[in-house]
Parts: sequence; structure tokens; C-alpha cells
Amino acid sequence: MEVIYGLLPGMLILGVIGVAVFIWAVKSGQYDDLDGAAHRVLLDEENDDTDQNDEQEKLK
Amino acid sequence: MFATCYHCGLDLQAESTFSAVIGNSEKSFCCHGCQTVCQTIYDAGLASFYQKAPESQILTPPAEDFEYSDTSFYDIEEIQADYVTQQGELSHIDLLVNNIHCAACVWLIEKSLNRQKGIEEAQVNFTTKRLKVAWRPQDLKLSKIFKLLQQIGYQATPFESDEAEQQEIATHRQLVYRMAFAGFAMMNMLWVSIALYTGADQGEFKVWFYWISFIIATPTFLYAGYPFIKQGLGGLARRQLTMDLPIAIGATVTYAYSTYVLLTPSSTGHIYFDTVVNFLFVILVGRYLEAAARRKALSETHRLMTLQPKLATRIEAGESQVISIKKVKEGDIVLVKPGDSIPVDGKVISGESAVDESMLTGESIPIVKTVGERVIAGSINTEGALKVEVEHVLKQTALANMLELMAKAQQDKAPIQALADKVVPWFVLATLSLAIATFFIWYQIDFEKALLAATSVLIITCPCALGLATPMSMAIATGVAAKGGVILKSGIALQQLARVNHMIFDKTGTITQGKLSLCYSESSKALTEEALLQIAASIESYSEHPIATAIVSEAKKKNLTLQTITHFQNFPGKGVSADIGQQHYHIGTQYFLEELGIELAPKWLEMLQKCEQEVISTIFVVEDNVVSGMMGFRDKLRSDASLTLDTLQNEGLFVEVLSGDKEPVVKAVIKGLGDLNYQAELLPEHKVQVIKARQQQEKVIAMIGDGINDAAALTQADVGIAMSSGVGMAVEGADIVLSQNKLTSLLVVKQVADKTVKVIKQNLVLSLSYNIIMVPLAMMAIINPLVAAITMPISSLLVIANASRIQTSNKVSG
Repeated sequence: MEVIYGLLPGMLILGVIGVAVFIWAVKSGQYDDLDGAAHRVLLDEENDDTDQNDEQEKLK
Repeated sequence: MFATCYHCGLDLQAESTFSAVIGNSEKSFCCHGCQTVCQTIYDAGLASFYQKAPESQILTPPAEDFEYSDTSFYDIEEIQADYVTQQGELSHIDLLVNNIHCAACVWLIEKSLNRQKGIEEAQVNFTTKRLKVAWRPQDLKLSKIFKLLQQIGYQATPFESDEAEQQEIATHRQLVYRMAFAGFAMMNMLWVSIALYTGADQGEFKVWFYWISFIIATPTFLYAGYPFIKQGLGGLARRQLTMDLPIAIGATVTYAYSTYVLLTPSSTGHIYFDTVVNFLFVILVGRYLEAAARRKALSETHRLMTLQPKLATRIEAGESQVISIKKVKEGDIVLVKPGDSIPVDGKVISGESAVDESMLTGESIPIVKTVGERVIAGSINTEGALKVEVEHVLKQTALANMLELMAKAQQDKAPIQALADKVVPWFVLATLSLAIATFFIWYQIDFEKALLAATSVLIITCPCALGLATPMSMAIATGVAAKGGVILKSGIALQQLARVNHMIFDKTGTITQGKLSLCYSESSKALTEEALLQIAASIESYSEHPIATAIVSEAKKKNLTLQTITHFQNFPGKGVSADIGQQHYHIGTQYFLEELGIELAPKWLEMLQKCEQEVISTIFVVEDNVVSGMMGFRDKLRSDASLTLDTLQNEGLFVEVLSGDKEPVVKAVIKGLGDLNYQAELLPEHKVQVIKARQQQEKVIAMIGDGINDAAALTQADVGIAMSSGVGMAVEGADIVLSQNKLTSLLVVKQVADKTVKVIKQNLVLSLSYNIIMVPLAMMAIINPLVAAITMPISSLLVIANASRIQTSNKVSG
């Protein structure tokens, strides 16, 4: 059962990493626009080919 | 007529359709602007925008001559200074793009901006309709970004978020962090707790588990518990007992005792770090949900706030210059280009245009403004350029005023809430005394038990639910009302409205539309009524007179085609004349006819006499000097008047109409509304007297009006409700403003009021009965702090959930 001496700190470290990631996500604004993200995922990117062709031809 | 514009989806008018071959097929557009935008989108290879945009959605057509509109002033450093921030090589700006309505817009904007050389990143926030752009100023001018947006049909305005909003975001984030941290701590703590409960507290690992608990609980207590301790102590310093105090004491005592047990190896007590952590987490969740609901209620206010433009084009000594709105003073002349938002309240001194005020009034059709008429900040100039003399700027504008009203209502405490606020300190005091008493009673038996029981009492009675009961409901109600087109000026009004049993309506402009419409027409035997209308409309379509407008709109309603006329002549104040084919027509008043020397047959005179009683004005149509018809005009009922009044009456309210008009007119107007009590020919002071008399009969009166003549009555009534189309005085005197100018909003707000008061009462009962049941249990030490920590927030959440019901079951749509 001595493994518990290692497991518990390990658990804490993982937990701290989780919190850090969450705080980073909030800070970087990932929670600012919940509606937009929900829609954005549904829009296909089928136009990527033309995009590359048009790379040079910028909007006027 | 069924075709719609390919770009914006508006109905096409046959005479003004633009067609062009774009992509592989011919497409029709309503205007040149739409065509250009569509061309640009296709050229850029972003045509799938049209597949992505939801079909039913009507996009905003671009401003008429946007191609020529000048954006170069955005390159002036002085103007940039207010909005642009520099970060190394990159510049950042926040833009507000109000006509983003669907995810496809987001896609189109991001796609076309992000591939522009010089733009590092463009990101649209769909919720707030804001666009963040980061770009390299040496590669690209700011004006070019605006230009790009215009080319794909979007109008952007620089946006400066105000301090209050920044702060709100910061506080909200802080709350999220604290909650997340407490959540993490709780989850880990649970593992430790399970180990301890299942026997680890007996064996060799006991001390190790205790220390791990301590390591988790300490930062949680200090970080997540900090706001409670700070608020609690801060309250004490101000000699106030706040709701946070029992939470702070409960958490501190439990934490301190557990630490004492941990550091005293000889002690046999248990540790309760898990209680501290769970307790804080659950309370923070409650706080978060509360804040989220409040934010939602406030978001409507914020949306309105963003309407006010930040720049204005000032004309000074014949030269126009773009300046920050902060520098515009009263009396300045500003130029408003087509497609721009009007930055100030003021009077049009030159130009003519249709102005879209829908965001402020809900009126969906742009309103024509000519010289001398007033425009309000935040509305959008859709057609021609206007020069406006500034009357009010920034905080003085009608828009700012409206926002202030809303903010005030949200802060304003309803009497029932003020009561709750008064009760809270006593409640806290009682809680603390009970806890201390519990502690001393149990102390004679067992110190640990005493401590736990006292803590339970503190936690259980934490008066969150009680404190939340009213403000939560009020905040949600204000938000719901705003969505339904109603601005609540004070919380008291909402409570009063729930008590109202007698509603008094003004007639003109309130139950009627406040503008003339055709209500009576009689034709000679030679003509059908329809033919009469057709002739009149054909001729009157050249006139701007209210009567002319009424005739033309009636003809449009009946889908009559207008005939070509020649030799149109206008005789101001009398009538008009024109030729259709071979016939010569005169249309005008009785006096016009007399002047022309046309005799009215006795039949017409008789009809005129009968009709004049019930209508406001009459005109005659004369064909080649022979009277061929007569038309009467009156203020017509609002389309929703009948529905609204019926519904109110069905709900058991007494409805009455007061008017300053002639008795027969009033009678005729309200004929369509069933049996209504009414009083006519009343002066403003009479209206006040009527209300006073009713109030003496113990009736709670709501007065709904719109004119200056109603202002006093609105103030006298228990609840004054003004239509937003009304004059400033009326709106000022009212407690509630129907901002969409629809009577049905009244049903919405009445329903919301009833519901809110009911919910507040339920909430108070709920939280009180919870306390009455749980406190004795806690004092008897039947409940341990952990259970207390779980049930307490549940009671708070119950109150919040109950308050949210105001939001959901609102059946009458605005």
C-alpha cells in the first residue's frame, strides 16, 4: 500500500494541470462565444480548393 | 412579386430589379448594392455563403452607395487613438458589426478578412456581434479593413468597451476560476474522504491522508473562500451583518478546528476539511448560476448600449471632419451619410431620408424624416444624407435615457425586496445566536459534537435562499420584459401592476394608431366603391398629405393598380386636381367644392352630416364637376387593440377608455371592441379626476397613454404605462414603457408581473420553510456539516430555478 504515497501527489499534480488548462481556456476567450462555436463547427470548408487557387487574387 | 433578391432576400419590385450573370446563372437583385456585394463574394470564391445562410433569414441590404463612402478618416491617428491598441508589430481593434445575423455571416467575414494580406487574425464573436482584428499597420491601413467589410455587405463601427463592462467580465472570470478551483479540490477531496470513511483513518496512512486533505483544503479555503471572508468581514466593519458572514464563520471554524486536530497528534477528533471544500464549491456553483442568470438579463441592456455610434462627421465652416463623438457639442452640425448610424439626438436641417428606428422602437418600417423633424441617436439612416443639428449627445440622448431607465429598474428595489433586505441582518443575527446557543448546549456533552452542530446551524441557515428570492426574480423579470418590448422603470411598478384591477386607456395613439385612415366611403351609382378608391389613390399618390397617405395605403391594401394621371395640381389645405384620360377630377373638402362652385346634392349633405359626427375629416371626389363619391377618415384602432383588451377583460380586469375626442367619434372607434366603458370630451385634469375617483373606490389603476395630455394621468395612476411613440413627457411620467409600441406588450408585462410576484412569494415561503425544518434538525446535531452543505445550496438553487420559471412559461409572444 506504500504506492499511496506516490499516487496521492500524482493525483494532485494531474488535478492542478487540469485546473491550469481550464484557466488558460477561459483566459484565451474560449468561453466568450459559446453560440458562435456551436454554429461554426457545422459550416463545411468545401471551398478550400478555390481558396488555394485564389490565394494570390485578394479581394480588391 | 414573389421573386426575392438573391443577396438580401427582400421582395423584388418589378420596376427596380437589377439582374446580372454571376457564377453560372442569372441572378436578380433588389439594388445595385446587393449586386455588387454578391459579385464580390463570388469573385472571392466564397459563394457557398449563400448555401450556408439560413433560407428564411433576410440579410441586411448594403447601404445604397457604399462603394463611394469614405472610410479614410479611420486612418487619422487621433481617431485611431481611441480604439486601436498596439502590441509589438500588430495593431488590434474591436469592431461592432450589428448586421451579423447568422453563422454564415461569421464565416464570410472571417474567411474574407483572414486571407487579406496584412491581417493577422480576424475573429467574430457571434454572441456579442463583435469582430476582433489584429493586423500589421505597415502592410494594411485600417480604412481598408472597413472597406473590405463594406464590400461584403457589413457596416462596422469601432467599439470601445466601457469600464463597467470590463469589470463585469473580470469579476465573472474570477468567479469561474474560483468555482473551477473549488471543483477540482472537491473531486480530489472525495477520494480522500472515501478512503477515510472506509477505514483509512484507523491505519498507518491516517496522518498521510490527513495531510493530503490539509494540502487540498488550505488553498481552497484561502482562494475560493476569500470572497466570502472578505465580504463578511467588510460587512462587519460597516456594522452590517451580511449573508456572507455565516458562510465565512462556518468555513473558518471548520477549517480551524480540523487544522487544530491535525497539528495536535494526541487529539482523537476527526478532520472536516472535506466539509469546507464541498461547502465552498456548492455555494460557488450557486453564485455562478445566479451571476449567469443576471448576466443574461443584463445582456439585452448591453446590446442597446452598443447602438450608439462612436464617431460623428462634424461640419464646420463648410468643411466636414470626422471626430470622436465625445468632442461633439450641442448646436454642432453633423452629417449622417446613408447607411450610417445617427450619432446624436437632433433636428434635421437639410436632406431627406428614411430612418430605421427599429432597434429602439420595434417599428419595422423606416420612417421618413425631412427638414425640421427629429432623429434619435442609434437609429440608422437608410437612404439620403442628412445634416443634423445636435440637440443631445452621449448621456443626454433618448437612447442613453432608455438605458438608464432599464438600469434603474434593475437596481431599484421593490418594496418586497426592501423588506427582505431589512430582514437579512436580523436573520443573520438569529443564525449566529442559534449557532452559539447550540454550541454551548452541546459543549457540556462533547466539544466536537458541539462544534459540528453549531457549524451545521450556520451552514443550514445561511440565508442565501432568502436573500436571493426577490432580486433574482426581479432581474429575470426585467430581462423577460425587455425581450417582450417593455422597459420597466422601477421594480415597484412590476409589483403594483400585479395588483392592478382596473385599466384605463387613452384613445388617440394608444388604442388607435394615431394616424388617419379611410373608414367610410360612399360612391354615386355610376361608380363602385373600389373604382372610387382607385381614382382617388391614383391622384393622391402625388400628394404627401396625411389623408392622401391614408387613401393610398388603403388602395395598396386592396391591391389596386394605380392609373396614370396628368396635370396634377395641389391646392394646399383644400384639395388636389388631376386628369385621368379624358376625365378631370377634383378631390377635396366641402369648402374646396364651394369655391369651385359645385353644389352638393341634398343626398350628399345629409350623408355628410351623419358621417361628420363619427369621423375626423371628410373629402369629396368630383368627376367633371359631378360629385361621384365621399370618403371619411378617422383614427383607426391598432390591429392588436381588440385582442389586448379582450384578453385583459377575460382575465377579470375592468377596462375603461378615456378620451378628449367628441363622444360620437369615441363611440364609433371603440365599437369594434365590444362593450366598453368610456368617457369622452375629457380635459387632461378631468382624466386625473376620474382616476382619483376610481382610486377612492379602492381600485388599483393602471393608465396607458401616450400624449402630453396623459402625462398627469400617468403619474396619478398607480402604474403609468406609456407607449414609446408617445411624447417625452408621457414617457417621463410613466413607470413602464412599451418600447415596441405594441399593445400586446401590455399582456406580456402583465403576465410577467403576475408571475414575478407569485414567484417571489413562493420563494420566500420556500426559503423560510426550509429553514424552519432544517434548523431544529441541525441544532439537535442530527445533520452533520456535510449534509448541511449539500442541502443549503439546494435550497438556493431551488429558489433560482423557481425564479427562472418567469422566463420560460411566457405564452404571449411579444
